[in-house]
Amino acid sequence: MSFVKNARLVALRGARLSQKRSYSDDMKLTFAAANKTFYDAAVVRQIDVPSFSGSFGILAKHVPTLAVLKPGVVQVTDNDGKLTKYFVSSGSVTVNEDSSVQVLAEEAHNIEDIDVSEARQLLSKYQSALSSAGSDKAKAEAAIAVEVAEALVKAAE
Amino acid sequence: MTNAWRAAGLTYIQYSNIAARVLRESLRTDLRAAAAKRDESHVKFTPWANGKPAPRKSETA
Repeated sequence: MSFVKNARLVALRGARLSQKRSYSDDMKLTFAAANKTFYDAAVVRQIDVPSFSGSFGILAKHVPTLAVLKPGVVQVTDNDGKLTKYFVSSGSVTVNEDSSVQVLAEEAHNIEDIDVSEARQLLSKYQSALSSAGSDKAKAEAAIAVEVAEALVKAAE
Repeated sequence: MTNAWRAAGLTYIQYSNIAARVLRESLRTDLRAAAAKRDESHVKFTPWANGKPAPRKSETA
Protein backbone atom coordinates (compact mmCIF):
# COMPACT_ATOMS: atom_id res chain seq x y z
CA MET A 1 0.00 0.00 0.00
CA SER A 2 2.56 2.55 1.15
CA PHE A 3 4.79 1.56 -1.76
CA VAL A 4 2.03 2.46 -4.20
CA LYS A 5 1.48 5.75 -2.40
CA ASN A 6 5.20 6.58 -2.48
CA ALA A 7 5.46 5.64 -6.12
CA ARG A 8 2.61 8.02 -6.90
CA LEU A 9 4.27 10.82 -4.97
CA VAL A 10 7.51 10.28 -6.88
CA ALA A 11 5.59 10.28 -10.15
CA LEU A 12 3.85 13.52 -9.19
CA ARG A 13 7.15 15.14 -8.25
CA GLY A 14 8.68 14.07 -11.51
CA ALA A 15 5.82 15.58 -13.44
CA ARG A 16 6.16 18.87 -11.60
CA LEU A 17 9.92 19.05 -12.03
CA SER A 18 9.82 18.70 -15.80
CA GLN A 19 6.73 20.57 -16.86
CA LYS A 20 8.02 21.18 -20.38
CA ARG A 21 7.46 17.56 -21.28
CA SER A 22 3.84 16.69 -21.76
CA TYR A 23 3.05 14.17 -19.10
CA SER A 24 -0.45 12.88 -19.26
CA ASP A 25 -0.53 13.28 -15.47
CA ASP A 26 -1.03 16.96 -16.14
CA MET A 27 -4.30 18.15 -17.58
CA LYS A 28 -3.87 21.14 -19.84
CA LEU A 29 -6.98 23.23 -20.24
CA THR A 30 -7.70 25.61 -23.08
CA PHE A 31 -10.91 27.47 -22.37
CA ALA A 32 -11.89 30.18 -24.82
CA ALA A 33 -14.95 32.00 -26.05
CA ALA A 34 -15.52 34.58 -28.78
CA ASN A 35 -15.23 37.27 -26.12
CA LYS A 36 -12.21 36.09 -24.12
CA THR A 37 -9.55 33.46 -23.63
CA PHE A 38 -9.72 32.24 -20.05
CA TYR A 39 -7.07 29.49 -20.05
CA ASP A 40 -4.42 28.83 -22.65
CA ALA A 41 -3.00 25.33 -22.13
CA ALA A 42 -2.95 25.95 -18.37
CA VAL A 43 -2.48 23.00 -16.02
CA VAL A 44 -5.53 22.53 -13.79
CA ARG A 45 -6.79 19.79 -11.49
CA GLN A 46 -10.44 19.40 -12.40
CA ILE A 47 -13.02 20.75 -14.83
CA ASP A 48 -16.78 20.28 -14.53
CA VAL A 49 -18.81 20.91 -17.66
CA PRO A 50 -22.53 20.89 -18.48
CA SER A 51 -23.32 18.98 -21.67
CA PHE A 52 -26.29 17.51 -23.51
CA SER A 53 -25.11 14.08 -22.45
CA GLY A 54 -25.17 15.22 -18.81
CA SER A 55 -22.80 17.21 -16.61
CA PHE A 56 -19.47 15.59 -16.00
CA GLY A 57 -16.16 16.20 -14.28
CA ILE A 58 -12.81 15.82 -16.01
CA LEU A 59 -9.59 14.85 -14.25
CA ALA A 60 -6.24 13.97 -15.84
CA LYS A 61 -6.28 10.69 -17.78
CA HIS A 62 -9.98 11.02 -18.53
CA VAL A 63 -11.16 8.87 -21.40
CA PRO A 64 -11.10 10.84 -24.71
CA THR A 65 -14.50 12.48 -25.14
CA LEU A 66 -16.41 14.88 -27.35
CA ALA A 67 -19.50 16.63 -26.02
CA VAL A 68 -21.81 19.51 -26.90
CA LEU A 69 -22.08 22.20 -24.23
CA LYS A 70 -25.37 23.13 -22.65
CA PRO A 71 -25.96 26.59 -21.14
CA GLY A 72 -24.62 26.34 -17.59
CA VAL A 73 -21.72 26.59 -15.21
CA VAL A 74 -18.21 25.40 -16.02
CA GLN A 75 -16.19 24.90 -12.83
CA VAL A 76 -12.42 24.92 -12.96
CA THR A 77 -10.37 23.74 -9.97
CA ASP A 78 -6.74 24.80 -10.27
CA ASN A 79 -3.78 22.97 -8.76
CA ASP A 80 -4.07 24.92 -5.50
CA GLY A 81 -7.66 23.74 -5.13
CA LYS A 82 -9.12 27.16 -5.95
CA LEU A 83 -12.50 26.92 -7.66
CA THR A 84 -13.56 29.36 -10.37
CA LYS A 85 -17.00 29.36 -11.94
CA TYR A 86 -17.89 30.51 -15.45
CA PHE A 87 -21.17 30.57 -17.32
CA VAL A 88 -21.04 29.23 -20.88
CA SER A 89 -23.79 29.74 -23.43
CA SER A 90 -23.00 26.84 -25.72
CA GLY A 91 -20.12 25.29 -27.61
CA SER A 92 -18.08 22.14 -27.42
CA VAL A 93 -15.74 20.27 -25.10
CA THR A 94 -12.97 17.97 -26.28
CA VAL A 95 -10.94 15.65 -24.06
CA ASN A 96 -7.88 14.24 -25.81
CA GLU A 97 -5.77 11.17 -25.15
CA ASP A 98 -2.82 13.30 -23.92
CA SER A 99 -5.08 14.77 -21.19
CA SER A 100 -5.42 18.11 -22.94
CA VAL A 101 -8.90 19.59 -22.79
CA GLN A 102 -10.48 22.24 -25.00
CA VAL A 103 -13.61 24.05 -23.89
CA LEU A 104 -14.78 26.31 -26.71
CA ALA A 105 -17.81 28.47 -26.08
CA GLU A 106 -19.72 31.01 -28.12
CA GLU A 107 -19.94 33.29 -25.09
CA ALA A 108 -18.50 32.77 -21.61
CA HIS A 109 -18.26 35.00 -18.56
CA ASN A 110 -17.13 34.79 -14.99
CA ILE A 111 -20.15 34.04 -12.85
CA GLU A 112 -19.63 37.31 -10.94
CA ASP A 113 -20.26 39.28 -14.13
CA ILE A 114 -23.88 38.11 -14.24
CA ASP A 115 -26.52 40.48 -12.89
CA VAL A 116 -28.97 38.33 -10.89
CA SER A 117 -31.88 40.77 -11.01
CA GLU A 118 -31.37 41.25 -14.75
CA ALA A 119 -31.39 37.46 -15.20
CA ARG A 120 -34.69 37.23 -13.27
CA GLN A 121 -36.22 39.94 -15.45
CA LEU A 122 -35.05 38.13 -18.58
CA LEU A 123 -36.61 34.92 -17.30
CA SER A 124 -40.04 36.49 -16.87
CA LYS A 125 -39.69 38.39 -20.16
CA TYR A 126 -38.98 35.21 -22.11
CA GLN A 127 -41.60 33.23 -20.18
CA SER A 128 -44.26 35.64 -21.39
CA ALA A 129 -42.72 35.57 -24.88
CA LEU A 130 -43.06 31.79 -24.78
CA SER A 131 -46.74 31.89 -23.83
CA SER A 132 -47.55 34.43 -26.53
CA ALA A 133 -45.45 32.82 -29.27
CA GLY A 134 -47.44 31.93 -32.36
CA SER A 135 -45.43 29.67 -34.62
CA ASP A 136 -43.59 26.51 -33.63
CA LYS A 137 -40.30 28.23 -34.47
CA ALA A 138 -41.03 31.28 -32.29
CA LYS A 139 -42.09 28.92 -29.49
CA ALA A 140 -38.87 26.92 -29.77
CA GLU A 141 -36.75 30.10 -29.80
CA ALA A 142 -38.49 31.45 -26.70
CA ALA A 143 -38.15 28.07 -24.97
CA ILE A 144 -34.39 28.17 -25.54
CA ALA A 145 -34.21 31.67 -24.06
CA VAL A 146 -36.24 30.53 -21.03
CA GLU A 147 -33.93 27.55 -20.55
CA VAL A 148 -30.86 29.82 -20.63
CA ALA A 149 -32.44 32.40 -18.31
CA GLU A 150 -33.37 29.66 -15.82
CA ALA A 151 -29.78 28.40 -15.86
CA LEU A 152 -28.51 31.97 -15.40
CA VAL A 153 -30.75 32.63 -12.39
CA LYS A 154 -29.77 29.29 -10.84
CA ALA A 155 -26.08 29.96 -11.44
CA ALA A 156 -26.01 33.56 -10.24
CA GLU A 157 -28.06 33.14 -7.05
CA MET B 1 -31.68 13.34 -28.29
CA THR B 2 -34.84 14.86 -29.68
CA ASN B 3 -35.01 18.40 -28.47
CA ALA B 4 -38.12 20.53 -28.95
CA TRP B 5 -36.10 23.14 -30.84
CA ARG B 6 -34.66 20.55 -33.17
CA ALA B 7 -38.17 19.24 -33.88
CA ALA B 8 -39.19 22.82 -34.74
CA GLY B 9 -36.46 22.94 -37.38
CA LEU B 10 -33.79 24.90 -35.50
CA THR B 11 -30.14 23.91 -35.64
CA TYR B 12 -27.57 23.92 -32.83
CA ILE B 13 -25.97 27.02 -34.38
CA GLN B 14 -29.27 28.87 -33.98
CA TYR B 15 -29.65 27.46 -30.47
CA SER B 16 -26.13 28.66 -29.67
CA ASN B 17 -26.82 32.15 -31.03
CA ILE B 18 -29.89 32.55 -28.81
CA ALA B 19 -28.08 31.19 -25.75
CA ALA B 20 -25.14 33.56 -26.30
CA ARG B 21 -27.48 36.54 -26.74
CA VAL B 22 -29.40 35.81 -23.52
CA LEU B 23 -26.11 35.46 -21.62
CA ARG B 24 -24.93 38.83 -22.99
CA GLU B 25 -28.23 40.44 -21.94
CA SER B 26 -27.78 39.21 -18.37
CA LEU B 27 -24.38 40.81 -17.82
CA ARG B 28 -23.67 43.64 -15.41
CA THR B 29 -24.57 46.99 -16.94
CA ASP B 30 -20.95 48.09 -17.33
CA LEU B 31 -20.19 45.05 -19.49
CA ARG B 32 -23.47 44.79 -21.37
CA ALA B 33 -22.92 47.54 -23.96
CA ALA B 34 -19.63 46.10 -25.16
CA ALA B 35 -21.10 42.61 -25.23
CA ALA B 36 -24.16 43.73 -27.20
CA LYS B 37 -21.90 44.60 -30.11
CA ARG B 38 -21.35 40.89 -30.64
CA ASP B 39 -25.09 40.42 -31.27
CA GLU B 40 -24.69 41.57 -34.82
CA SER B 41 -22.32 40.29 -37.41
CA HIS B 42 -21.43 42.08 -40.59
CA VAL B 43 -20.56 40.42 -43.83
CA LYS B 44 -19.40 42.36 -46.84
CA PHE B 45 -19.62 40.74 -50.23
CA THR B 46 -17.40 41.78 -53.09
CA PRO B 47 -18.14 40.07 -56.38
CA TRP B 48 -15.13 39.35 -58.58
CA ALA B 49 -15.09 39.36 -62.35
CA ASN B 50 -12.10 38.55 -64.58
CA GLY B 51 -9.76 38.40 -61.60
CA LYS B 52 -10.71 41.88 -60.32
CA PRO B 53 -13.25 43.07 -57.79
CA ALA B 54 -16.33 44.22 -59.65
CA PRO B 55 -17.21 47.96 -59.55
CA ARG B 56 -19.05 49.27 -56.55
CA LYS B 57 -22.46 49.59 -58.14
CA SER B 58 -22.69 45.83 -58.58
CA GLU B 59 -22.19 45.48 -54.80
CA THR B 60 -25.55 47.03 -54.16
CA ALA B 61 -27.18 45.09 -56.98
